[in-house]
Amino acid sequence: MASTSKVDLSGEDDDEQLERFDDFTLASSWERFISDIEAVCRQWLADGPNNLLEKGAVKLDFSQKLYKVKMELKYAMKSYNMEYYFETSSGGKIADGDSTLHDLQLCFGVKDFLVIAPQSASGVVLDSPEASKLLSAVAIALTNCSSLWPAFVPVHDPSRKAYIGIQNMGTVFTRRFEADRIGSQVPVRLMHLEGLYELFVSKFAYSTLDFAMHLYKVHFTMTSTYRTIHHDDDDDLQSLGTEKEEYGDNHGSETRSRSQWDDDCPWSEWYSAEDPVKGLELTATWSEKTVESSLEMAELENASPHEAEKWMILPFLSPNLSEGNRVGFASQLRLLVGALNMSFDAQFMEDFVSVENPGSDNLKSSMIVPPPTVLDRVFKDLFHEGSQVAAFAKGEHKISRAIKGAPFGSLFAQFCLHALWVGTCNIRAIAVLWIEFIREVRWCWEESQPLPKIQANGSIDLSTCLINQKLQMLAICIEKKCEMNEDFQDCVGSNEHTYDHMEEDSPVGDKTTSNQKHGDEFDGIQDSPLTEDRLHGSGTTTSRPSMKHGDIQSTDLKSSDHNRRGSAGAVGSTKLLKSYQSMHAPFTQDAPLMTEDMHEERLQAVEAFGNSFSFSAQLEKDILSSDMSAFKAANPDAVFEDFIRWHSPGDWENDDNKESGPSKSPVTKGLKDDWPPHGRLSQRMSEQGNLWRKIWNDTPALPVYEQKPLLDPLREGEKILHYLETLRPHQLLEQMVCTTFRVSADTLNQTNFGGLKQMITKMEQLYRTMASTLKPLQTNHVSGNSETIEDLRRLCVIFEHVEKLLTLASSLHRTFLQAPRLSETIFTDYYNFYLPRMGTGSPGSPEVDEKEFDVKYQVMTRERQSVSNMFSPPTANQSWRKVLSMGNLLNGHEPIVREIIFSVRDSLRNNHYAAHNPRGFQREIETYRMYICGTSNDLRVALSVTSDSQGQPKHCLEMTFRGNSRVSCVISVSSSCISINMYLSEFAMEAGISSQFPPPSPAMAYEMHGIHGYHQRTGFMTSRVVSHAVEGGTKSATFSSIPL
Amino acid sequence: MDSSSSSPEFDYLFKLLMIGDSGVGKSSLLLSFTSDTFEDLSPTIGVDFKVKFVNIGGKKLKLAIWDTAGQERFRTLTSSYYRGAQGIVMVYDVTRRDTFTNLSEIWAKEIDLYSTNQDCIKLLVGNKVDKESDRVVTKKEGINFAREYGCLFIECSAKTRVNVQQCFEELVLKVLDTPSLLAEGSKGVKKNIFNEKRPQPDASTSSCC
Repeated sequence: MASTSKVDLSGEDDDEQLERFDDFTLASSWERFISDIEAVCRQWLADGPNNLLEKGAVKLDFSQKLYKVKMELKYAMKSYNMEYYFETSSGGKIADGDSTLHDLQLCFGVKDFLVIAPQSASGVVLDSPEASKLLSAVAIALTNCSSLWPAFVPVHDPSRKAYIGIQNMGTVFTRRFEADRIGSQVPVRLMHLEGLYELFVSKFAYSTLDFAMHLYKVHFTMTSTYRTIHHDDDDDLQSLGTEKEEYGDNHGSETRSRSQWDDDCPWSEWYSAEDPVKGLELTATWSEKTVESSLEMAELENASPHEAEKWMILPFLSPNLSEGNRVGFASQLRLLVGALNMSFDAQFMEDFVSVENPGSDNLKSSMIVPPPTVLDRVFKDLFHEGSQVAAFAKGEHKISRAIKGAPFGSLFAQFCLHALWVGTCNIRAIAVLWIEFIREVRWCWEESQPLPKIQANGSIDLSTCLINQKLQMLAICIEKKCEMNEDFQDCVGSNEHTYDHMEEDSPVGDKTTSNQKHGDEFDGIQDSPLTEDRLHGSGTTTSRPSMKHGDIQSTDLKSSDHNRRGSAGAVGSTKLLKSYQSMHAPFTQDAPLMTEDMHEERLQAVEAFGNSFSFSAQLEKDILSSDMSAFKAANPDAVFEDFIRWHSPGDWENDDNKESGPSKSPVTKGLKDDWPPHGRLSQRMSEQGNLWRKIWNDTPALPVYEQKPLLDPLREGEKILHYLETLRPHQLLEQMVCTTFRVSADTLNQTNFGGLKQMITKMEQLYRTMASTLKPLQTNHVSGNSETIEDLRRLCVIFEHVEKLLTLASSLHRTFLQAPRLSETIFTDYYNFYLPRMGTGSPGSPEVDEKEFDVKYQVMTRERQSVSNMFSPPTANQSWRKVLSMGNLLNGHEPIVREIIFSVRDSLRNNHYAAHNPRGFQREIETYRMYICGTSNDLRVALSVTSDSQGQPKHCLEMTFRGNSRVSCVISVSSSCISINMYLSEFAMEAGISSQFPPPSPAMAYEMHGIHGYHQRTGFMTSRVVSHAVEGGTKSATFSSIPL
Repeated sequence: MDSSSSSPEFDYLFKLLMIGDSGVGKSSLLLSFTSDTFEDLSPTIGVDFKVKFVNIGGKKLKLAIWDTAGQERFRTLTSSYYRGAQGIVMVYDVTRRDTFTNLSEIWAKEIDLYSTNQDCIKLLVGNKVDKESDRVVTKKEGINFAREYGCLFIECSAKTRVNVQQCFEELVLKVLDTPSLLAEGSKGVKKNIFNEKRPQPDASTSSCC
């Protein structure tokens, strides 16, 4: 452009303009100051962002890409800080509404910028002339080094966040900035879009007449931010506190009148967690609109945020998530581990409760024992409510079983959970509970009441902890005891089948008659051959012993049938070898159940006897001989071979048909023709001194109801109670710890979190860690070394992390039920954010920088409704508190902040100067930009005005005054205003402004009214020429400051 | 465990379990392994138990081998012996096909159901290879089953003692190679130490309550 050299004040390019007088002397202190600034700027310019980064530019906290460098400067006994803010990413426009933007970037739409401010407490220039001078100095310096950086000076009180600034935009344009804020009592006019629009227009339309006449094409973008109202945290905390004081009554009905967010979460039975999702902030951004009248603005104010182009949400997560102690399973488990640690101090649980125990003074004072009301509640729940637990395996993870504890929902598991949540879970409280628990169990035993919450499948699960095994066994003993009692009741009249009479040898004839009655009950079984069932491996159903029921009267009325006792029905059509009668399977006794310690005992006994085969072979001899007795009773004419054919078919070698099963072969072979079948015992069975045959020979014919039971329920029951009553404290606590970890995890595992992948993996990891950490506790030997306790403490920390994540996952899931993508994304981000923070609990773990989790997420259109639903219409109480004064309500919620950007662009087409330069329209310039941010009572306004001289400055003056001070004055004229850039030296300031202007054209006389000058003395950026006089070739202008 | 004073010291204690149909030769195999003899034994009643001290892989090992009865009647009874076994020996008779098919139809399911040890090593053994003329299950079938079920495989004869030592040795070496099983085995050692120090439990404790 031709004009370049004319405005270029740095003198770099004026080789051909020799007529200019250049003065580079630095006379005054102000000039030296400018020179200093210039030197710094040149250095920064030369370095470029990359070098500056190397030289130690500081990254700003809130931003990912904004850095700053700082330099100290001195002028007139004062120190100033000059800071240069820059972004590393070179390209790209500043996107409005980006939360990581610097304040000034937001306000003025700039990218890199300079700020110069005095080194004072406030960091703000309070004195207006000083501010102007500073800005002038920077502007001159920047111009000198041809920098296009905008420069800002803070002014006024810091609370106003007021700035003035200037930017040289190349040769022809200059931008000025000014920002200010009204902290209270915003005029009603400015609360609404309409008023704000008028405010903006007033900046370039000079009279109300203009206003009505012109339709300015104002570009308008708006961003509204809404925040959900969340529950009062104070109330929550308070209620939590009182719950604590009420000693573990935290799930009592009276304190739970308020409904909690997690009421239907599985852990809510035990505690209420703080909702990790505190709320969210929704930012709705409207697309850019072109507005031509304030009426349109009024319409826009009524627009719903649903019409906005873009929705972003910022979830607020509770700070307690990443730090702080919260009450949960993990915190209680830690207490339980502490109790385990103490449990080694005493021999019996009673010692922790008894008064006489000497060294327990500190125990008593610090450890509170639950009051009777709490005990009542606990035991009512344990023993009287829902005695049958419906689905045991419901919450169990597939790895649960690897942890040797009681299964979820079982009596001991429930006991452990109650103990966990009774007060501070101290050893004394546990002792009190346990003693009471044993008392209740004994009561059930004495009164033959079924034990509640025990899996009643007639077997003992050896993968569970010993106490649970014992309780399972006790439940079976109680069952058997009841059966015995019932039998006794039944048979008082008939004098039959009672346990007491079992050994009695009653006449056979009597039995048969009475057995016929019982037989009727068994029609169903009679029809189905026993062997069929047995082949399918369901031993429990077929071999179920029956003390109560007698044998079956066979349908087939052979002569010997009246002798059968304890038959469960014929075995297919198998016939006895000798008598050719139907073979009947007897009812047999269940194999005696054993808990793992009994297994252990037997193993030790066997080991003690060494390797003597004769002994070990007899381990289960009782069962075999019981079976033989029963078989003999059911088949009076049977021989040993018959028994083997039924009991161990493999040892009966059938000559004719090797492949077919022994029970089937007679069927295929028809009847008596081939009788007796050609077969024999296997070699091992037929050998001399075979143990089986010996037992057979020694065994009397007795149906099960006459046999001595393999399991003596009375004896075993008492043994179990003895075990429970004399259990060592550490043994109890070890099993409690294992069980509690397991069922706590199982409880959490039931949480519905929408199948978030990371959470599923994390849960699995937790289970695995628990399984391996708890192993030392599962071996029934002393484990009380400090190492184990430390491991357990660490496990608690891990548990806590998982618990927290799970709470978050659950809360996110329910918050974004209809928008699973959001909950997934947020959880993934938080998970990645949180993971490095997960210490192992050891004090030496490296600290990760404390950063808040704040990430914004875009909301898809289909997800909007579910986000919008979170903004529940305010209650009467809430709306009463606040007078709504803004528009764009979302479900009755006023935006908490509204950001608006107005701008006008000048394409330079419709003005009379365009004629002079037909190419001028090619650039569209944002001549006015106003950024408004705030609410109805806190408004911030920032204005930037670009003035251009249309590619060709009409009037450019450069004057030299006395004292070699340089004054440059650029007068630029645009369609809407004339702006004068004057960079005045100190001298000029003293002298005031009186410049020589070329004679203006008539048109310009009009324009002069709108002049926006820069008046050094008053220090106001935006001033208007209120009067001017043109006399001959000389123009004098009077400036008056017009505050915004 | 008082008897342990008379027993030699050992580094690890492993529990092994033998399962399979009745009459396939489990007890004979065990006897052949523990006492280098072969007898046609009476069928096992319920469960039997043998201890053998061996040196395998440079370690002194105590093997507690549980031998179960194959009869259906004893199946519920033997289920509790699966608990805590580090190795399970599944035996079939190469001369009886049903003993082979029952391994997959019955015994493998029993393991899944009752074994508490996820890592436990399984070994498939085809017994009675001395009766080569009666053989109905080929070696290839055995290998295929072992591959499918993820276990070790060997054919042996308790009678001629072919491969009997190798059979248990392979199993134990594999257990020694599995860290989690090794850890369990070594607990046995610790346990003995603790047991000796421990106060006599329960006998004198009836004073309470």
